[in-house]
Amino acid sequence: MKRILAVGTIVVYLGVLVAGLGSHALNYRTGAHPTMYFIVWDMFCGWSAYEDRTHIIGQGESGRYYDLAPAPWGDYRPFGDIPRHHYDPFAMHAGVLALNTLRYSEHEPIQQIFVVQETWAKKFNLPDELWAERYTEPKNPHSYFHVRKILGPDGMAQASNLAWFDYQSKLCLSDNPRLAADSNRGRPYLEMQSQVQVSDTGSRPAPFQ
Amino acid sequence: MSDQHSLNPKKNSLTDFFFAEEVPYGMAVARMLLPAVLLLVMVPRWIHARELFSMDGAAAPLADNYGYFDFLPVPSGPMAVGLATLLVLTLLTSSLGWCTRLSLVVSLVLYTYLNLLDCLSTLTKYSAIAAHGLLILSLSNGGSVWSIDSFLRRRALRRSGTEDPELLKPQRYAVWPRRLMQLMIGIVYLGAAFTKMHTPAFFSSDQMLHWLLTNVNNSNPFGEYLSYYPATLVVSAYITILWEVLFVFIAWRGWNRVLMLGLGITFHLGTTFLLGLYIFPLVCFSIYASFLYEEDVQRFAAFFKRLEQRGNRLLTKFRSLGESIGRAIPDVSPRQASLVFGVVVLLVTFGGVGVEYQLDPMGARRADGAWPLKELDPAKVVPMLGQTERIRESDKYLSFNIGSDMLGDVLMDRKNVFRHGDPIVAQCTLNPPHEDMWIECNLHDADGHLIDRVGQVADRSMLRVSYAFVLPESLLPGQYFLVVRSGGQEITRRAITLVAR
Repeated sequence: MKRILAVGTIVVYLGVLVAGLGSHALNYRTGAHPTMYFIVWDMFCGWSAYEDRTHIIGQGESGRYYDLAPAPWGDYRPFGDIPRHHYDPFAMHAGVLALNTLRYSEHEPIQQIFVVQETWAKKFNLPDELWAERYTEPKNPHSYFHVRKILGPDGMAQASNLAWFDYQSKLCLSDNPRLAADSNRGRPYLEMQSQVQVSDTGSRPAPFQ
Repeated sequence: MSDQHSLNPKKNSLTDFFFAEEVPYGMAVARMLLPAVLLLVMVPRWIHARELFSMDGAAAPLADNYGYFDFLPVPSGPMAVGLATLLVLTLLTSSLGWCTRLSLVVSLVLYTYLNLLDCLSTLTKYSAIAAHGLLILSLSNGGSVWSIDSFLRRRALRRSGTEDPELLKPQRYAVWPRRLMQLMIGIVYLGAAFTKMHTPAFFSSDQMLHWLLTNVNNSNPFGEYLSYYPATLVVSAYITILWEVLFVFIAWRGWNRVLMLGLGITFHLGTTFLLGLYIFPLVCFSIYASFLYEEDVQRFAAFFKRLEQRGNRLLTKFRSLGESIGRAIPDVSPRQASLVFGVVVLLVTFGGVGVEYQLDPMGARRADGAWPLKELDPAKVVPMLGQTERIRESDKYLSFNIGSDMLGDVLMDRKNVFRHGDPIVAQCTLNPPHEDMWIECNLHDADGHLIDRVGQVADRSMLRVSYAFVLPESLLPGQYFLVVRSGGQEITRRAITLVAR
């Protein structure tokens, strides 16, 4: 009996691992279920030439702006020097983070919450001495800001935009006049959610990992 | 059973492979190390448990990202703190080997559950690997040696007057849990190889180069330095993928085991120095202990015994330290130890909840009242909320370097002094996204006069453009400049010196 249980465990466990491997190799339903995270080994699958940070900003009734992340009681830095809210590449959880800050703080009524993506070219991450060795021009870092989401005071999304990388990629494509013309001709009569799905380029930095 | 024999084709090799018996030293080492590594992760998170894992804070369940909302219940604040406290305790007792199997099962359930509740700052791929490790350890008998449980068992046997050396010897068990852990490691590496096969930029060095410049993990100054040498990344990319594919097939014995584990240790140390990862390598090293065979332990034991016989004081002290620890363990039976374990679990868990309540990390009951929000300067915020700016021309290029030879489409060397007739390669590396571009690399003399204009199209999918020059003898020796122009602007320039042959 013990042997049968052991054989069953071996077969089931290895079967699950091999299923995950096959799913990943063939890119078949890798995101079908949260448990797939535990059997699809896609470490460092994406990359980007731009560093990425998130700003969560609340706007009160008075029109004043407030910093909602990190929270006023301090930030948590899980994998290095940057706080937790920067590890949300899909801006899925910014609303919860904002509401948590609002719950434990005193403030005027908040009307809108902006989730803003800040990006800059990663070459500017080089320390000054390495920059001086590799570049003849002065180091002139520049950040781009892009409103990713606008949330209501209850954290529900009121507006959502493409991620900065996808937005810029689209702009690059739209420089092609023929493509732009065809795209405009192909505009649908009805706006349906299913038509705005943009495949992720996998280009954003993930924490590891 | 020797691993050499376990793969003997004359025997029923598959049965032997999984069911040969051994003293589970390897799993015991993994059992001591893996929970200890996870303590490095979970202890700093304990004070943040309410914020990270509870409905009183800002839990970020992984399932939401997959569209499975409410997949797992999010606990209340005190419950989350209690579970995090219990996890820290059971990781500790797993490592020490006290009520080992129960500790490992509780650790597995709580570690996986809490990780699933925080995909922002707790769950990573090393968490997934560690969860597999805990699962396999909880199926194994890794607590039967080098543990408090085994110490208590042997002491109880001695006290009961048992002199049978066979009974006092470490017990032997089927090897299959260790095989599962070895196969799991190999399959993880194979999966990682598939990821790389799906990423062409891995082989051209671009993916790795940008990760070396990324600041989302710990500091990685060696990585930043190495980003100047993409040819080394091309070579290491092919070595890495070969190692990842071969591991599961050849890492089982002999020199192949040494080679595969040696490359693994080098690779993971590389992720520490080049990418700033710490816990991921430690998790991998701890489960590498599953490649520690019984014969290895016997060889190590014989070696240390010889050293001790030659009068090595350090080993004598180490042995006496072990005996002192043994004496410090209270004189209780295994059953009494289990009861004490239950009491400790209750005391520590409830104690942890009480301590966290007093510390009030989110300031819910602070004397000064609720926290004030930090007001932002509208002059800084309004531009952030405006129209998204297009990418500057200068940001579309990553680097411009000059050398004389290429390896795998990247520049192999850096030079700025050339003789007449020498090959010159100027390479401009681009940052995606960019549109289809016309990029010129023009040769100017020291006075700025344009001598040669060379341009080429870089379509939106290209990550680099290279220009080959051979300077003829009609050019006088002296200083020249290679100037990159794009979008009607000068992007950068490099000086080169031409000397007579």
